[in-house]
Amino acid sequence: MFYFSMFFQYVAQYMKTRLEYRADLLVEIFSDLLFQAVNLIFIIVVFGHTQFLGGWSREEIIFIYGFFLVPYALFSAFFNIWDFNERYIVKGELDRILTRPIHSLFQIILERMELESLFGVFTGVGVMFYAGSKLGLTVSWYDPFVFVLFVVGGVLVYGGIFILLACISFWADARTSIMPMMYNIGNYGRYPVDIYNPVIRFILTWILPFAFVGVYPSAYFLGREEWYSYAFLTPLIGVVFFILSIFTWNEGVKKYRGAGN
Amino acid sequence: MGAIEVRDLRKEFKAYSSRSGLKGAFRDLLTRNYKVIPAVNDISFSVKQGEMVGYIGENGAGKSTTIKMLTGILEPTSGSVTVNNMNPHRERERFVQTIGVVFGQRSQLWWDIAVQESFRLLKKVYKVSDEDYNNHMELVIKTLDIGPLLDKPVRKLSLGQRMRCELAAALIHNPPLLFLDEPTIGLDVLVKLKIREFLKEINEKYNTTILLTTHDLTDIEALCERVIMLDEGQIIYDGALKSLKEKWGEGKEIQFQFLEPAELKTLEEATSGLQVKWEVDEKKQVFTAFTEDNEETISQVIAKTVMAFRIKDVNIDETSTEEIIRNIYEKGMV
Repeated sequence: MFYFSMFFQYVAQYMKTRLEYRADLLVEIFSDLLFQAVNLIFIIVVFGHTQFLGGWSREEIIFIYGFFLVPYALFSAFFNIWDFNERYIVKGELDRILTRPIHSLFQIILERMELESLFGVFTGVGVMFYAGSKLGLTVSWYDPFVFVLFVVGGVLVYGGIFILLACISFWADARTSIMPMMYNIGNYGRYPVDIYNPVIRFILTWILPFAFVGVYPSAYFLGREEWYSYAFLTPLIGVVFFILSIFTWNEGVKKYRGAGN
Repeated sequence: MGAIEVRDLRKEFKAYSSRSGLKGAFRDLLTRNYKVIPAVNDISFSVKQGEMVGYIGENGAGKSTTIKMLTGILEPTSGSVTVNNMNPHRERERFVQTIGVVFGQRSQLWWDIAVQESFRLLKKVYKVSDEDYNNHMELVIKTLDIGPLLDKPVRKLSLGQRMRCELAAALIHNPPLLFLDEPTIGLDVLVKLKIREFLKEINEKYNTTILLTTHDLTDIEALCERVIMLDEGQIIYDGALKSLKEKWGEGKEIQFQFLEPAELKTLEEATSGLQVKWEVDEKKQVFTAFTEDNEETISQVIAKTVMAFRIKDVNIDETSTEEIIRNIYEKGMV
């Protein structure tokens, strides 16, 4: 309950600050939209050369991209921890976090949220509806619930992986450039995994399970029954990875060495 | 049970050293050389509720590391810490409700939002009721004179203004124990005085325990009866500031400024036969005579000096705390 109320306190505070810098806010939303448009154009250009990609049609791939945008938007809004090492470890901001009576990771999530990224949810849903109507998909009464479940699973997968990566900073001294690389790998989950080599597919499913943020759950909505078992694993994988990451985080905080003054 | 109980507290850090050359760099990839360095080396002390303690030491003596263990930020390598009857690191979230922390070089406040918004958010973080908040913060805001700053964003405040707000922010939940790490660093004299006054007032009114680290010994002199002195991770002195002065601050300093150019040699000759040592500052303006604390000697030194040169100004001082501390560090023991 306390954490809920704290969440809304921070959101309210965030809105106030953001509204003071309206121009900034618009620029950021605009650049997000532009980024999403570029990705879409890329898909369209690829399909200018071919009709199918590993047995998937253009609309299906666009649909997967649309689905991916939703958990990705939620992830970007709340798990802005890609600069955790520099901001909190090197500069020692974690000291301040640790002197406050709220779980340290939760505080960082609250401090670093970027709610304007949530606009991606609308773009994503829009893209899905567009592709879905081209494909002639129908929506059953339970689909929205499954959708929410899968999206939450996807966010937890993404969040879990990035929290685990942030935890590296607790043990390793040196700065790592692993975060930007991970953002790139994360993008692979947007495409059907059967177009990749089996090793990469295995990695994207079990080691860095980005496939559970895009292609697997989307397969359910696209009626691709061969992938259903994977699709329904999404929430489970999400929960497992997230719990693992929280556990690692709690261990990591014990190893925190603090920054010198 | 005191506010702080520390037994054989130790914190070790691994210091990695890199080998030289390209070959060394490759070897570093596989196995790295490191030394285990104890930043805090088996220290023990306890602080009673309501005490104001100065925690001093040179840079790297282990002050910050101790404070970080006492506030639950770092986990000790060995030894025990009990603060407010809790283990700071293990019970962190419950524990930090009972302490206030000010790091002089780090801000607790949100940069972009108005000070009172920061306070409001912290009030929620610490679950402070409206009633407690109003009662307590009214006094804090008045004493620190930050009323007019409340609606300004933190980034527009000067350092002195910000520090006062930081202090208020650390006290929102009215903690029984306050840690101050370099609270007056870079502040002007007026702000320093205000902060000291305020700390005294808080201490008297709420019996708040205060542990203070600072490089500015005047802070310690103004506030603390007791000092704990640290060197290379070990406590080299723990006791009253007064007895430190009595033990080390033997003697007086008499400072002279003359109307005419003076020579050290002439002065030494003039006062020969007395227990006195002369020094001169770089600009050859101020001549200082160090003597024992004895009225007779002092009068004689002054009399003989006046005979030698015409005087512009005379000052008699006790040895300053700063000098005492410097002496102790130079000799490395108490």
